[in-house]
Amino acid sequence: MPRLLASALQLRRDPRILKLPPYVSLLCILVGVAWLFLLPLDQYSRRTYISENALLPGQVHTYFGGSDQNVFRAYKHEVNELAGKSNTDVNDKLEPIVKGLGLKTARQNFTYHAAGHTYSGENLYAILQAPRGDATEAIVLVAAWENVKHEINRNGIPLALTLLRYFKRWSLWSKDIILLITPDSIAGPQAWVDAYHDAHDPSRVSSLPLKSGLLQGAIAIDYTQETRFESVHIVYDGVNGQLPNLDLINSIVNIAGGQMGIGVALQEMWHHDNGYPDRLRTMLRGMLKQGLGLASGAHSSFIPYHVDAVTLRPFGDGWQDEMAMGRVVEGSFRSLNNLLEHLHQSFFFYLLMQRERFVSIGTYLPSAMLVAANFTIMAIALWVKTGQPAEGAAPKTKTETNTTTTTTTTTAERDLFLPLGVVALIQSLSIIPLYLFNHAPESTLTTLFIAFTALNTLLPQVLSHLLTTLPTTPTTPHQFNLIKSFSLLLLGMFLSTLATLNFSLALITGLLASPLSFLQPCQTRAGKVAATALLNAVSPTAVLLAGAAYWGTDVTSVLKEAAVAWQVCGTYSPVVVWCVWWPAWVAGGVVVLGGRPGTPRGVGNKEKMG
Amino acid sequence: MDAKVTPGRTAGLYAGAAVLRLAIFTLLPALPDLLTGRVEISTPVTSFKRLQEGLFLYNHNVSPYDGGVYHQAPLLLPLFSLLPSFTSLPIFTYLLYIAVDLLSAGALWRIADSGEAGSSALFTSPRREKRWSGFVVAAAFLLNPFTVATCIGRSTSVFTTCAILHAIAKAVSGAPFGAMVALSFASYLSMYPLLLLPPLVLLAYDRQRPERATKSALQFAAVSASTVAGVVGVLFQMSYLLTGSWEFLPSTYGVQLTLSDLTPNVGLWWYFFIEMFDSFRSFFLAVFWLHLSSYVGGLTVRIRRQPLVVLTLLLGIFAIFKPYPSISDMALFLALVPLHRHVFPLMRYTFVSAAVIMYATCLGPAFYHLWIYAGSGNANFFYAVTLVWNLGLSLLVCDLMFAVLRDEWEVERPEMAGKEIRQI
Amino acid sequence: MRQFLSLLWLSLFSFSIFASAADYHEQLNLRPLPLSSLLASFNFRSNTTLDDFDKGNFRFFPRSLAQILQHAGTRELHLRFSLGRWDAETWGARPWDGAREGGTGVELWAWLEADTDEEADHKWLTLTNALSGLFCASLNFIDGTRTTRPVMSFQPEGDHSTVTNMHLLYGVLPHEVVCTENLTPFLKLLPCKGKAGIATLLDGHKLFDASWQSMAIDIRPICPPGGECVLQIEQTIDMVLDIDRSKRPRDNPIPRPPPGDQLPCDTSKPYNSHDTCFPADHTNQEWTLSQIFGKTVKGTCPLADSTIPPVCIQVPDSRSVFVSKDVHEKKNPDGLSRCFDIAPSTELEMMLPRLDEGASTTTDIVTPETPLLYAERSFTGHGQERGGVQTILRNPSPDTAVEFIYMESLPWFMRIYLHTMEARVAGHSHANKSLIQQVYYRPALDRARATQLEVRMRVPPASTVFLTYDFEKSILRYTEYPPDANRGFDVAAAVITILDPQPETIGSHGGGAAKSARRFAAYTLRTTSLLCSLPTPDFSMPYNVIIFTSTAIALTFGGMFNILVRRFVAADEGPEAGLAVVLGRLKGRLRGMLKR
Repeated sequence: MPRLLASALQLRRDPRILKLPPYVSLLCILVGVAWLFLLPLDQYSRRTYISENALLPGQVHTYFGGSDQNVFRAYKHEVNELAGKSNTDVNDKLEPIVKGLGLKTARQNFTYHAAGHTYSGENLYAILQAPRGDATEAIVLVAAWENVKHEINRNGIPLALTLLRYFKRWSLWSKDIILLITPDSIAGPQAWVDAYHDAHDPSRVSSLPLKSGLLQGAIAIDYTQETRFESVHIVYDGVNGQLPNLDLINSIVNIAGGQMGIGVALQEMWHHDNGYPDRLRTMLRGMLKQGLGLASGAHSSFIPYHVDAVTLRPFGDGWQDEMAMGRVVEGSFRSLNNLLEHLHQSFFFYLLMQRERFVSIGTYLPSAMLVAANFTIMAIALWVKTGQPAEGAAPKTKTETNTTTTTTTTTAERDLFLPLGVVALIQSLSIIPLYLFNHAPESTLTTLFIAFTALNTLLPQVLSHLLTTLPTTPTTPHQFNLIKSFSLLLLGMFLSTLATLNFSLALITGLLASPLSFLQPCQTRAGKVAATALLNAVSPTAVLLAGAAYWGTDVTSVLKEAAVAWQVCGTYSPVVVWCVWWPAWVAGGVVVLGGRPGTPRGVGNKEKMG
Repeated sequence: MDAKVTPGRTAGLYAGAAVLRLAIFTLLPALPDLLTGRVEISTPVTSFKRLQEGLFLYNHNVSPYDGGVYHQAPLLLPLFSLLPSFTSLPIFTYLLYIAVDLLSAGALWRIADSGEAGSSALFTSPRREKRWSGFVVAAAFLLNPFTVATCIGRSTSVFTTCAILHAIAKAVSGAPFGAMVALSFASYLSMYPLLLLPPLVLLAYDRQRPERATKSALQFAAVSASTVAGVVGVLFQMSYLLTGSWEFLPSTYGVQLTLSDLTPNVGLWWYFFIEMFDSFRSFFLAVFWLHLSSYVGGLTVRIRRQPLVVLTLLLGIFAIFKPYPSISDMALFLALVPLHRHVFPLMRYTFVSAAVIMYATCLGPAFYHLWIYAGSGNANFFYAVTLVWNLGLSLLVCDLMFAVLRDEWEVERPEMAGKEIRQI
Repeated sequence: MRQFLSLLWLSLFSFSIFASAADYHEQLNLRPLPLSSLLASFNFRSNTTLDDFDKGNFRFFPRSLAQILQHAGTRELHLRFSLGRWDAETWGARPWDGAREGGTGVELWAWLEADTDEEADHKWLTLTNALSGLFCASLNFIDGTRTTRPVMSFQPEGDHSTVTNMHLLYGVLPHEVVCTENLTPFLKLLPCKGKAGIATLLDGHKLFDASWQSMAIDIRPICPPGGECVLQIEQTIDMVLDIDRSKRPRDNPIPRPPPGDQLPCDTSKPYNSHDTCFPADHTNQEWTLSQIFGKTVKGTCPLADSTIPPVCIQVPDSRSVFVSKDVHEKKNPDGLSRCFDIAPSTELEMMLPRLDEGASTTTDIVTPETPLLYAERSFTGHGQERGGVQTILRNPSPDTAVEFIYMESLPWFMRIYLHTMEARVAGHSHANKSLIQQVYYRPALDRARATQLEVRMRVPPASTVFLTYDFEKSILRYTEYPPDANRGFDVAAAVITILDPQPETIGSHGGGAAKSARRFAAYTLRTTSLLCSLPTPDFSMPYNVIIFTSTAIALTFGGMFNILVRRFVAADEGPEAGLAVVLGRLKGRLRGMLKR
């Protein structure tokens, strides 16, 4: 291995090589993006398939229906009476009904504080004990009182009650079935699942008095539509872009489509002609949701705990009734009930582009990795450019002056220290915006944001000014290059790590930060102005503004959303923005504004001087 | 660097390091337990939580070695039971760990100031005048994030580190007996330092004071070896009296030899022996141990003239090939590397290996999370990262070795300084 | 004279109760429970005198079992097959005060006569292997890693005043699924082999469709004062049947929704109509024996002691029970239960009619008594690295504290940290030291021995106590995982033995148990078992891993070896090597091409 590297080092001496890196990294980015657009093609995406054979989706007859409809109507009357009542009143009314089914019931209180607001409520849940089972495993049926759009789940809750009553009659359940009724779709499930795994903060979320075994899966019903529906919308994005096992989605698609003849839609693509544009749109929507990492339904909070979960939402105008929906859920539960092992076979990293087509991580990861790689390439190139101390040999062999190694290395020592300090400083500064935007109350967010934006535009100027007019040692060009090199190295490192956790977020951040690797130190005033303009155009704050404007919301609500997600669900997208992207951006700004162009020749001169 | 190291700066450094650690202990009370739980920091043979369990059993008259949890040296038990109980007064435990770190730094300082790295008894490097003062070396050790993490994680390997550094310091300052005693403590705590005996003996032999110097190397070696044997024997006897049986031997050193506890760590052994076929397990155990000890002889002979270098390289190699390595071994290696500041210009892959190690440091926890908690990855993820980590580390060791050898070579051929060379 | 006769009669009766002579009797006890379930507990007891046993002539005592006992030197044996969980919240106290049930799966504990531990282990091995053959259960998997030697939890039920060198061994298989193949040998042990008497009701389909069922075999020597010692075998089957489910006909077991008009509706609802029906389930129960068990009792077992009524049912006297003719009903004085005497050749059919709407629902069944303690155990934490066990112990009684022994036998790959064990009363944040009175702990040895933890603690009246401790999940060799590795590993139920308030006076044997534990068990209960998921390696990778690791090692070693042994020369000295050679070759090629 060292010999290979040695011969690689030989190459590095060649000045022509030093010209290449910018083009190489540009190529990386372009290829990465192009790769993404190839994915929807048939050659690159694959047909979905069930790899966990125990699931046997759609292999059982479903008997839900008949006189259960009468019961459903009765429950629906009960629920309609409760519309507009307070959370506790609703639970007081529902609890006896659930008890009447012969289930064990319990309640749980929770209170979250985020962005100056308080999110509190009471969860009601009930456990249907598996007739001959032993509380070792459980499946969860979630019916939130309100969905994410704050519409009352008028059909979902009665349907869940009727289903539980129907399930009670079967003796074949191998796992307990837990019915969870939460006041809302984000905080309630989060509090419950946290407490179930004892990962909760007892001061805000009360522990669960009643428990069952390992959760093997969860299905949330979001059924607000009053008219008959046409097909089912599967929502599968989890918190922080984690996804449920693909087998779960496949088996539901299989049951709904194959058995019931109900269509299935993904990512709000109500009509999907399975052509390239629709596939691409589905994929991009999925990636955007994944990248934001917000909770998209009552199921989202389950996924971080390795509990595969989806939300089913009927939509469209068709002839399917509530019983059909119930049979879909029944079929899915029968499949989950068959499971012998926890779902582990199929894919956890995938991009769905149609209900039966997907790409797996092996196929799509390279695009993100290429984008991350371009930063690393630039970092290495810059390092080489500045002539690293251990490479005192490098310039000497080119110019046959035998300068004593001491001088070169002493200058090199000064080289290393300051850049490291600057990068570390900027990194540590990044805690401030993170803390501010996650803890400030909503009222102050707007002013805070404006103030921060102003400071943000100034910060690079100030820093670079400080560095250039440093009293003791004015910063040399390749110190600036080193600053850039280190910050790019960090960026590349963080992004490639992130790509394994949340592919989309890494890709988006990488693309947004890609200009940083090409911004050169510029001397002329005009150049500086242009660079500043470009710099501020790609600053995190500017991107935030643009994004808000594009989706027709204001920045405040975006920030508030982020703060709530951070406080309640632990979404780490803010960390990525403020502690990965922002520091790199500031460092880039410093380099652009402060640095004089550092060419290889510059390095040579430097050594002559020293 | 050239600035005069005043006592004030010394005190400042030590105080700074201590305050940093204390601040982390007190301001982030959750962090110590989090780090203690990390597999990269605490292994089955160094974990603080297992130490607590062993202590609990020991205080309740249950033999801690009659179980699968506690695999650490018996004498740690009375040491920690002398301290006020951790649950009520944790501060004393923190202070102990901080003190141990400072002691190690002090030893390192002495080694650096002795200038042994640059010019040993048999060899003087042309670059020797370019070296870092003890202050810088100690600072590099105390502020190294790996060291800090190990201290915060309260892994008991810090005691071994301290003992090894003191052994070297004693040897350098011409106190062979002290060196051997320190080494035997290290070996008693975690076995593998015993392999450091040959180079350490040479180092002590080279540096022994002229007034009472033993001429024949063999005699000197015999005396040192018997010293180590004697001290270790005494320690074993004490442990026997303490625990009332010899069952601590299989449970402490047997575990390292047979790798019966397969908890993941940053090393190469655990996954290999999880996936190993039962019939070949013992064979490969023997092979791995043989491989690990095979470096000692080779390096000691080849780099005979600079024993300190041999010790440094061996510690680097142990950090890769130990049965239960952790980042604390890495920290120990990185603590000794700055001593050889003078060969840095001859190293070729510092940036590459540094980048690789940083990447592995970032990716490791992420992949471990994917495997253990998110469940979306499997064991191969973490295994791959440990491979990368060890390759980066081995690259660093090789590079240092190359630099040192080239440094020696340039003494024979001074005109080659700064020229392109290769090996045939 | 009549007095004398009655006296004789009485003594005879009591004799049979004390079960001193060689005899056999059986009894079925039916107890309706809330929410339309029914507890049916069968009890068969027979015994033989000890010298008959030693001589080897058996009348009622099953020979197959007896020979195993003799071969393995077993003095007392308890074997349990259990399925499902007892719902104490609804069903109240357990039958037999929990003395005749086990945790999910198979549970076995026995007192063996042996001089040394090794001998005891050896005999235990023979015993488990023989029993696994006899009962078609994989009891032979109870090896060293699943065997423990409880110190406080179990006391011998029999009378062992003669022997001193007894060893108690305890083994449990939580993953064993109890099913029909275990029932058949169980019935074969009965004198009437399930052909006559109440045993005719026992049928695999019904038994294993029950919500909870437990089969128990207890063998113990009994020495009544003044009588000769006998060896008694007691076979018990308890099951809780869901009436709605078991009334479903065998040919159509699928719970299809009933026709709308047959749906019991709550007519008081305003919206109640032909197509809207608020269900009114779980009204008071009505059933017949043949509906529930699919058949009737075929007479009585001719060998059985006729003085014991074979069938009893616990319903208030206010409620009428119809039985087939020439069956004589005996109401017990307590007014809550009645028994039936059957002629040897008549079939018993019993019918419990629905209570008319007028009567208040409180009188339809005997309200079950509340148990002494509720216990619920669950895992805390998530991920496959570490976790915790939390047991919630609730003492319902308002005035008396409960003192009990909590026993766990955990597999070795759960490394528990005893120093993290703490008990706290609900509502208090910090642990309460006084709750835990005594701990017996034997840590696990990797691949050799299971963890054994026995805690004697007390729960104050009307309070809930949380007992928690942490553990670490160890990763195994890939050959040590079962085929369904990702399902997880079953952890046996915890055994909770509630101690009798006043200590026992007589009896001073049973190993080196602590003095405080020398009491009768007033009540026994078991928690549910747990499923512990361990980290799993990739099972498809052994070769790849060996290759990759070896490559990494080879790279390192090779690199160092190169550097150590090779000579340094200047770049322009010595033969060409490395990239330059390749380049030179290429140049040569090109030149050749250009020339051509």
